[in-house]
Amino acid sequence: LMTTISLRVEFGGGLELLFSNEKRHTLTLPALVPSDNNTNNVKFLSASASALDEVTKTKPTDVQYLMYHLRDHLLRDRPELFMENQTVRPGILVLINDTDWELEGEGDYVLQNNDEIVFISTLHGG
Amino acid sequence: MSRRPKYDRDIRCIKCKVNNGKIVVRHAVYCKECFPALLNSKVKRSFEPFINSKPESSRKKSLKASGNLFIGFSGGLGSTVLLDLISRIYFSNKLEIKSQEAKARGGKDHPRNEPVWKKASVCYVEISAGFPEMVDRTDDVRRLIEEKYEAFEFIPVRLEDAFDPKWWDKAGGKAALDVIANGNSEDLFFSTVCGDSISDPTAKLHSYISALPTRTAVDSGIRTLTRLLLLHTAHHNQSSHLLLGTSLTSLSIGLISSISQGGGYSVREESQEEWNPSGTSPIRLVRPLQEITMKECSIWAWWNGLQVLGREKHQQGIGALTKNFIVGLERDYPSTVSTIARTCAKLTPKVGAGGLCILCERPLQPGVQEWKSSISIRATTNSPSAVPSPLLKSLTPHLCYSCHTTLTSRSSKSIPSSASASLVLPLWASAHLQEPSNDTRSIDQTVQEEVKEAGTDVWIARKVGRDEMKASIGDFLIE
Repeated sequence: LMTTISLRVEFGGGLELLFSNEKRHTLTLPALVPSDNNTNNVKFLSASASALDEVTKTKPTDVQYLMYHLRDHLLRDRPELFMENQTVRPGILVLINDTDWELEGEGDYVLQNNDEIVFISTLHGG
Repeated sequence: MSRRPKYDRDIRCIKCKVNNGKIVVRHAVYCKECFPALLNSKVKRSFEPFINSKPESSRKKSLKASGNLFIGFSGGLGSTVLLDLISRIYFSNKLEIKSQEAKARGGKDHPRNEPVWKKASVCYVEISAGFPEMVDRTDDVRRLIEEKYEAFEFIPVRLEDAFDPKWWDKAGGKAALDVIANGNSEDLFFSTVCGDSISDPTAKLHSYISALPTRTAVDSGIRTLTRLLLLHTAHHNQSSHLLLGTSLTSLSIGLISSISQGGGYSVREESQEEWNPSGTSPIRLVRPLQEITMKECSIWAWWNGLQVLGREKHQQGIGALTKNFIVGLERDYPSTVSTIARTCAKLTPKVGAGGLCILCERPLQPGVQEWKSSISIRATTNSPSAVPSPLLKSLTPHLCYSCHTTLTSRSSKSIPSSASASLVLPLWASAHLQEPSNDTRSIDQTVQEEVKEAGTDVWIARKVGRDEMKASIGDFLIE
């Protein structure tokens, strides 16, 4: 049972400008995260599953949590250009393993190890 | 919480019914293999009926344009995708010809085999001279076109060319003196000058932009200048077609934005227009991507590794607000965006045009001044009514409602106007004003009379005195 998942994240359409101008990122997230998408608790990376349940409500890491993580830890500038109303700003396309996230359950899609998530802005310079 | 799926039926491609879908387009699912055919057919459907100068009478469809092809390129997503699709659909054979067999595939009249246009060009309008914070990207665009699209000639144009007599002369325009209008009054009184006060085109451009009353007006003003620059350059290049990369999303944004600035009369022209001010060689301005959403353009660019240079945009004004609104709408209710375009396509103006607007060269609707004076407070009862001096010529009768609004409509957020808001006109507008056929009688008056005679239902305002007013409602007064 994996406690962490490794992910490849890519930004396109100018969105990379908000993320240190880096188009490609690799990151590791815990397999279980707080249901309220709180990304501040570093203890999650090392805590065991049973210990987590006692602390707070958890959920398997999904794309919505990934969004919050990116906004809180990788975004260098202008968070409102990335997220709005608890999801990506309108005009940002999300591809999960080269597939429109609307076909994969959008933010509820549970991330698997080695998944590739792409965020493309259709607005910036377009 | 279960979410209602954003697609119909299941996740399999709606076309081939075999592959799993990769993209949802307005509730329909497509796989990666069927997606190119979808875009190709939409482009052809929006474009091919307008290629031949006369609609095809026979069933045999052979495409042959009467002039060259001219593609407007802004560096944005739509332009990038347009250029790529047009190149693939109509110009791939130019590169294949060396390796292909002598016998043409698909038959003699297949579009792939006979060139539809003798020559094709890509034109980029550089707008950075008007805005100090912008960077000139002409060289970046040139490099992109020369490296990736060898079949096209690259033609750079600059926004300030609209005020440059050298460009105007090269474009085949009739020589005209500079015309300067006073932007402080609704009448826009103007005079011709001998071109010495401001001779540098860039300075004239700055003066034009500074004289525009709002950020919205600056946005619209630049769009009009760009479109006219493209049309005149296309004409100079013997083109029969000018293509722009307006997606369905951009079209809907443009329609709503234009209508909210008084552009309702040119709703059809926002989608497509035939431009022929000289009456000799018409150019069809077509938007082949107008059935393709921004989302589809974006995915196409991503899947094909297209480099999108980006386009400088204004962050304020009605255009920007409309864009935010429509883009949000498209995500949550994707079908509404196409509804906007489709509904607007059903609209036709009630009254025929009375000539062309000298600034945007689109049909000029009658009754602009009458309407404006009846909906706005121009003077209080105490102020003397302004009697225009016969020596002062007004620009207003020569402008459509939308252009007049752009030049004069101020709001509480208006850019503070300088003491002399002198508006230098672009050269095509000056040339129109100096045409001998443009007599001093307002177009409004002429058309109004025609309309009255025709007996069509057009309200014409007439000022009445208090006694007449009282007499007409006398029966209803309780005394």
